Order: sequence, then C-alpha cells, then structure tokens
Amino acid sequence: MKDKQFWLVTGIIAFIFLLYWIMGHPYLYEDRIVMLITMFLMGSTLMYNVRYAQMGGEFYLRPIPGLKAVEEAVGRSTEMGRPILYVPGIQDMDQVETVAGVIVLGHVAKMTARYETSLNVPVSRSIVMKAAREACRESYMIEGRPDMFNEDMVHYLTDDQFAYAAGVNGIMVREKPAACMYMGKFYAESLILAETGNSIGAIQIAGTASQAQIPFFVTACDYTLIGEEFFAASAYLSKKPELIGGVRGQDMIKAAVIVTIIFSIIIMTLYDNTGIGFDVSKLLTIR
Amino acid sequence: MIWKRQIPILIVTIVGWITLLGWFIDQPDIQEFVNDDATQWFDILASFAIILGALNLIKLQVQKILYQKPGWIYSVVAVMGFLFAITAGFFVKGVDDSVAQWGAHVTTDGTLFKWMFDYMFSPMSATMFSLLAFFVASASYRAFRIRNFEATLLLVSGIIIMVGRVPIGSVISSWFVMYLIVLSAGIYINVWKKDMNTTFVFVAVGISIVTIAGFMYGWPIDKPGIFYLPAIQEWIYYYPNVAGARSIMIGIGLGIFATSIRYILGIERSYIGE
Repeated sequence: MKDKQFWLVTGIIAFIFLLYWIMGHPYLYEDRIVMLITMFLMGSTLMYNVRYAQMGGEFYLRPIPGLKAVEEAVGRSTEMGRPILYVPGIQDMDQVETVAGVIVLGHVAKMTARYETSLNVPVSRSIVMKAAREACRESYMIEGRPDMFNEDMVHYLTDDQFAYAAGVNGIMVREKPAACMYMGKFYAESLILAETGNSIGAIQIAGTASQAQIPFFVTACDYTLIGEEFFAASAYLSKKPELIGGVRGQDMIKAAVIVTIIFSIIIMTLYDNTGIGFDVSKLLTIR
Repeated sequence: MIWKRQIPILIVTIVGWITLLGWFIDQPDIQEFVNDDATQWFDILASFAIILGALNLIKLQVQKILYQKPGWIYSVVAVMGFLFAITAGFFVKGVDDSVAQWGAHVTTDGTLFKWMFDYMFSPMSATMFSLLAFFVASASYRAFRIRNFEATLLLVSGIIIMVGRVPIGSVISSWFVMYLIVLSAGIYINVWKKDMNTTFVFVAVGISIVTIAGFMYGWPIDKPGIFYLPAIQEWIYYYPNVAGARSIMIGIGLGIFATSIRYILGIERSYIGE
C-alpha cells in the first residue's frame, strides 16, 4: 500500500469511528473501552514500524542464538547424512503457536532444500498436516528444488498426546536424526521428546510459548526460543523488512508496558498510603 | 492464484476482525459467532480432515510393510491396531442392543471398544506418561550440575523449594540453616583466600555468633523467618518465580498480539506458503 492509500484508509476508518462515537456508540461495551483504545494504540505502533521498515528504515536486531543455530543444525545434518526431525507441536491450527511453528517450518524447509537434506515432519493434526505440506512445497519450489519435495515428508501420526509422543520417540530412536526441532504448542510430552532427542545425541532447538514447558526445553535442548523470541523467529529467518518492523514495534510496546507498570505502582502506592490520585487498578483491570 | 492467495487472506482478515472486535461489541449475533459458531466450524472442518490423516497414516504404514523397510514389523502392529479400532468402533459392539446402542457403545462397560480403551489404550498411555518421572530425574540431574553461577542458583533454589514443601522441611530449624550457611561460606572463603587461618577464624566467629544469638533468643524453630525453609520456599515461589513467569507471559502476550495483527492485516502470509 502506498503512502497516500494508507493515510486515506486510516482517515476513513478514523472518520467512521468518530461518527459512530458521536452517534452514541451503540452496542459498545463501555467498560472495555480502555482495552479497545490500548489495542488500537498497540496496533498503530506495529503498523508505524512496519511501514517505516517498508520505506527503508533500518533496525538493529539482537542476535538470537537459537535462530542462528537453525542453519547450523541443518548444516550438521547434511554433513552427517542424517535427516532433520521437525515437530510442530500437538495442537491444531487454531493455536497461534502452531501457526508460528508451521511458518518456521517453511524457513527450515528452504534450508533443507538448499542443503539437500531430508526432512521428517510427524504431525498430530490433519489440518496441520495439510498446512505444513503447503509450507514445505512452497519452500522447495522457491528454492528451485520441487523434485526433492515429497508429500510424505509431512505425515500424520495420531491425535492422541502420548501416542504421538511414542510415535515421535520411535522415529527418533530408529532414524537417529542429527537435529530435532520442536516449534509449537506442547504439554507434558515436551520432556519425553526432548530427553529422547538428547539421548540420541541430536542437536536440539525448541521454541514454544507454553510457559510450563519452557523449563523442560531449556534443560534438555541446546537452544530454546522463549515466548516472544519464537514469534519473532519468522521475521529473523525471512529478514523481510515488514516483519522486522513488527518486531521493533513489539519491543516498543513492551517498553511502554514496563513504563505503565512502574507508573501504576507509584500511583497505586500513593493512593493506598496517602489517598492522593486514583485507583489505577480499576482503570487497567480487564472486564 | 486468486483461490490460493487472495481468498484465504480475505477470509483470515474478515474473520480475524470480527473475532477481535467481537470482544468489544455487545450484539448477540456477533457474540454467538465469536464464541460458538466459529469454533464449531473449525471442529467440523477438523472432523473431516481426520480422514485425510487416517488415510495418510495407513498409506505410509502399508508402504513400509510392502517394501519391508527397516522397522516394518512395527507397522504391522500399527495397521492391526487401526483395523481393530475401526472394527470395534463401527462393526462389532460385543454386546446386545439392550446393553448399549451404537454410539453409546464407546463409553459403555462390557463393549469391545470400551474393553480396548480400558485394557489397551489407557495402560499404554499411562506407560508413556510414567516415563516422564524418569525423564524429569535425568533432566534435573543435568540441570542441577554445578557448572556456573546460574546452575548453582538453580540448584540451591531447587533444594529449598523441594525441602521446604515437604513435612520434614518444617522441622528443620532456621538455626541449623544458619550453621549450614556459615559452613558453606567457610568453604567459599577457603577456595577464595586459600588460607586455613582465615577460614578457621571466619568459621569460628560465624558459629560463635549464631550460637550466642541462639541462646539469647531461645532457639525458636521458625525464627528468624528468612532462614526458615518453608518461609524461604514460599518467598521464592510467590515473588521471584511469579515475577519471572509474568515477564515471560507479557512477552508471550505481545508476541501473540503482534503475530495475530500481522495475519489479520495480511502482512504475514507465510501460512499460505507465500
């Protein structure tokens, strides 16, 4: 979208919202207005940074060892002549982590196509199987190696959590992949997978936003993408300016959140102890 | 190309906006779509898609058997299990209609399907789950090996949490912990200074101070609180732990928000292979 078009669309949306507000904003949950405004502010910050990046603005991206290690892992597998095992979690495409996992899979597939390394992607949901296949197919096409793509490199095992863990463990023990990557949503099977991967001596990279599983991955894997790093993986790996801009926007919002927390603590402490100010928790609590 | 690119992006954008704004709009139809209809559509799609998955599974396993690839014998077990589950689910109930109708037979005791679930599936799932206990032990061993400052911190807080949460933790006097700290600090001083006299003076002074303080205050088991294990573990659990967890949660929340916005606005199109 060009600058003129962008501001035109933004202006129209703002005008419609203003009109709606003047008309008495029917059907709006008034007690959620703070959240709505915050959401628009956050969205605007992201959009500003995306557009800034699209127009040639340059940003510094902190190197993330886990993402640098992805290429290293693919290279290691190539040298050893063993496959790469990629596990996109055990949840369906309605989970944003699974979508992020499939996106990272696309980047990994590009590397495997480039290095001519075999890729094995066992999945636990049929829809994920279809999405992952498409991502891999496109990656192999982009790299000019459609001949290397084989539909069965992405294959379905089972929907059941522990049956899936058993199936993946079996693949690990039999095929002994040189690299195992776990990117998606995980539950209790995370440690079963990561420890088996560790026992076969594979280089392991994990990425998840499942908070309870992060310690297990940190313990058993060589590299772990924690929370937001995982969601930023696509931007890092693709190096597309619009995605990198989004990461910068995310960091700016995080800084704003930290400042809000600090100011809220000060205001709340003042209010509780001296009665000066107002109850900021009432304003910030999501209803 | 329009069917593979523009249409999917349009669907994601429209449904994404409706779902996002649905949280702020007090209109029953939109609420119903966001809370029920959209998720039900997904469930219906997923139910149809399972056929694709099942076909893929059986195709790969049969190929393995036919070409006698390494480990093909496991594929025989997989195919047999698959066929048995289909037979028990769709063709053989194992009981009369008076005991269980078709459909209800999957949860009724005595049916073939329930037997398979109770005596084959559940024990096998439990076996996999129980492996977790051993893996936790091996992972903890690796994590707790003292290699650097962080690993030491992890080990110390891990021990405090473990001991502080079990009954024996509450009978360990805070004075005992203080003696332990003096002795541990003595080891550190010895490593640092490498002088036996300094170490001896440090340990002797430390033990004397703790002993004198103990006699002065009457050796209460839970005082001072900062050396009482249940109190320390509670503090670690509710303050540093929660603070760390919340900071990760904020990062995850922002990551999810930013990723969702990228999908809704069509900035991120990798999910359709672009």
